[in-house]
Amino acid sequence: MKRLASRALLALAGSFILSGCVTSTVDEMVYNEPTEGIGDATVVILGRRHASDYETEPDFIQCVGKHISSRDRAIDVLGELEFINALYPWFEPRTAPLRPEDIDKLMAQPPVAAKMAELKTEYMIWIDGSTVETNSAGSMTCGIGPGGAGCFGFGTWGNESNYEATIWDFTDRAEVGRVNTSTSGQSYMPAVVVPIPIIAPVQGTACDGIGDQLLEFLSGDY
Amino acid sequence: MSGSMIFVSDLRQPARLLAALALLCLLAGCGARQVVVEGDFPKPLMSPLPLNMGIWYDEEFANHEFFDEAKGRTESTWIVKTGSAQMQMWDIVLGGVFKNLEQMKNAPGSGEMNQVVDAVLVPKIEELQYAIPAHTNVKVYEIWMRYRFDMVTTAGEQIASWTMTSYGKTPTAFLQSDEAAVNLAAVVALRDAGANFATNFTRIPAVREWLEQRQSRIARSKAAATPAAASTDSLPEQDVETEPAPQEAL
Repeated sequence: MKRLASRALLALAGSFILSGCVTSTVDEMVYNEPTEGIGDATVVILGRRHASDYETEPDFIQCVGKHISSRDRAIDVLGELEFINALYPWFEPRTAPLRPEDIDKLMAQPPVAAKMAELKTEYMIWIDGSTVETNSAGSMTCGIGPGGAGCFGFGTWGNESNYEATIWDFTDRAEVGRVNTSTSGQSYMPAVVVPIPIIAPVQGTACDGIGDQLLEFLSGDY
Repeated sequence: MSGSMIFVSDLRQPARLLAALALLCLLAGCGARQVVVEGDFPKPLMSPLPLNMGIWYDEEFANHEFFDEAKGRTESTWIVKTGSAQMQMWDIVLGGVFKNLEQMKNAPGSGEMNQVVDAVLVPKIEELQYAIPAHTNVKVYEIWMRYRFDMVTTAGEQIASWTMTSYGKTPTAFLQSDEAAVNLAAVVALRDAGANFATNFTRIPAVREWLEQRQSRIARSKAAATPAAASTDSLPEQDVETEPAPQEAL
């Protein structure tokens, strides 16, 4: 039993040591929050992809969706690609509605209105932002020869995430909330023969932060 | 962070030399980098226009490829083949935009034996540009295309001609090769081309004019066929093919 506890402590200490430090700030502003959750309705999380120099990562959108549906199984989160394909060409970067008022124009088309009714989409969440590398330093040299291979050196780099989620109520054609998260962290990679990556989970922390706030909005249990 | 690789080995033996050369070649990515664009394209969700439209892909379009020769030792030669994906995408998109889509047997022209259709679309790719992070220092892969569409009668007389651009980009991703990223950017650009066409086709002045003329011609011929109806002032427009263009809703 004692051995088991010490192993668990060692694993915990190891995971703490091998992950870099992350600082995260989450701001939230919501109104018209559903008191009983969203019931039978579905929610879709979409990434904004209008900017020329960055793109909201599809895997981040997927991460937020999984975070919400894994914590409250009653919430049905539609897959981004599945939704965009079902409503092609109305949610492409060129044609996607930019304001809640644009939904009316979209719903004026009978096939679109019918598809939305079929999907039972009550909330549409737009996420805009990206994770970028802010700085990097250090150097590493790797060698390979008949006797073996190895690396020596030290590298460090910083990452910063900035994401904003805008919640649209599809029925009322109105914006009902905004959640903003800023996360930064520094990763390290020392190498003495074997490189040991100590990665700061910047994007993962941003995903958890934004996911928790959205969960509070959408779920009746949180 | 910078990295370098040092090879310390005896290269006197030919086998080892060959192996080292092969490895160097692999690491340097020698030879042209080729992408045959592949993707899945959804059918547009819209009320189709009541037109029997023909489509003609000329050989250049059907086998379209983009070739960019390396300008320096650090760059690679690129071949991006889009022809097959272009035809796949336009068949699906135009099949959703128009009530009926016909693949023409021959190029539209006065002496050609072809199917009877309302008009024929002839797409052409006038220009394609691409950018990878090595070119721009921005961590996105981009594809930009300019199309020219000619809408002609089966006899080859021009109805409308217009240009249309499309753009696709994809961010760098861990463990994603340059080829996979360029393919993804091309698929996004093709989707964008389809979206641009589907939402703007009826807004093109020459197309709009042709559609209006066609509607009034159909209305006149229907009125002539039923003289009793023609005598009434209120022509039942909903009976003729005056279904509002889906694009006009936006």
